[in-house]
Amino acid sequence: MAPYTLTYFPVKGRCGALKMILADNGQQLKENLVSIEEWMKGDMKGSCLFGQLPKFEDGDLVLYQSNAMLRHVGRKHGAYGKNDCEASLIDMMNDSVEDLRLKYIKLIYQEYDTGKGAYCKDLPKHLKPFESVLSKNKSGFLVGDQISFADYNLFDLLLNHKVLCSSSLDSFPALKSYVDKIAARPKIKALLECENFKKLPINGNGKQ
Amino acid sequence: MAPYTLTYFPVKGRCGALKMILADNEQQLKENLVSIEEWMKGDVKGSCLFGQLPKFEDGDLVLYQSNAMLRHVGRKHGAYGKNDCEASLIDMMNDAVEDLRLKYIKLIYQEYDTGKEAYCKDLPKHLKPFESILSKNKSGFLVGDQISFADYNLFDLLLNHKVLCSSSLDSFPALKSYVDKIAARPKIKALLECENFKKLPINGNGKQ
Repeated sequence: MAPYTLTYFPVKGRCGALKMILADNGQQLKENLVSIEEWMKGDMKGSCLFGQLPKFEDGDLVLYQSNAMLRHVGRKHGAYGKNDCEASLIDMMNDSVEDLRLKYIKLIYQEYDTGKGAYCKDLPKHLKPFESVLSKNKSGFLVGDQISFADYNLFDLLLNHKVLCSSSLDSFPALKSYVDKIAARPKIKALLECENFKKLPINGNGKQ
Repeated sequence: MAPYTLTYFPVKGRCGALKMILADNEQQLKENLVSIEEWMKGDVKGSCLFGQLPKFEDGDLVLYQSNAMLRHVGRKHGAYGKNDCEASLIDMMNDAVEDLRLKYIKLIYQEYDTGKEAYCKDLPKHLKPFESILSKNKSGFLVGDQISFADYNLFDLLLNHKVLCSSSLDSFPALKSYVDKIAARPKIKALLECENFKKLPINGNGKQ
């Protein structure tokens, strides 16, 4: 029986990075998929602490908030830095990834038709700090010399942006190399090629 | 010489909770205030990793992202739970506080004149989960039996909402009692009554 259970809509959405960090650590994940029709009935929503999915279970521990899930798994599987100083830097990096994810989500769900052009034009400004951080760190990860939960999160978000703004990484060699390197990790590669993962739309409204 | 330094605009903004957790742990904080005029020149902004303030320094460690600062100080001063399970629950709570803070910030900076009434009408829906959690936890804190960084963050945000929607806590006895209890902690009380803290506007645009 899988120790980890995820309840979410049938989309990649806010759970891509979580699935990647679990896969990379050889962890099984039981997935409960909730259709929109089911969600609209309201019972499940009413049972969620903050009225939202995803919901993640590790034995008796029930977590909401996708970044809390990433931190939890990162903490358990050595992907939260090797000391407190690295942990704080990883927190900062993840929060910056989240800032960009919020912009992405706003574009996808609220402004796709009218805003996509401007978003892609503006994107380099938001990618530049990550390019700068990665090009300065010889290990090729955001912080220290090991992969952290913030790396899976950034990687997942960059994959989304490659779809949305196709040539967005062209002028960012460190980011390009980063994406290639993480995608080539055997268990990540296997996840990305796996039917269950590939078939999920990135977002709930069909836009990407 | 203070080990902690904060560089920020002359507002409470995203640094209220940070100042509270530092004060409650009797930590000195050196503050560098940046005026809007100074900021508009661009040099300070250009020197910030993600182009934003606040900036927090602990010796050689430089952090951006207010929640990374809260986690850092929480980690150092025993305000991050007594075990990994509590740490994950605290992460979840803080992320939920951040969700509400984002709504608050959007209202203040983008929709104040037209949206304030609807916001206050809708607020109970967002406070209800916190009321529920607090009423179930005998300690009166969000997680476990000690105060955590998430508590300072929620407390700070509730103070903002008492100003914005004056009777917002009236139907939430656990939240009312929580605010009173934290405000009565001697070092928090002293901070709230201190001139340097009181004189700062909550937000940068004068709205509250």
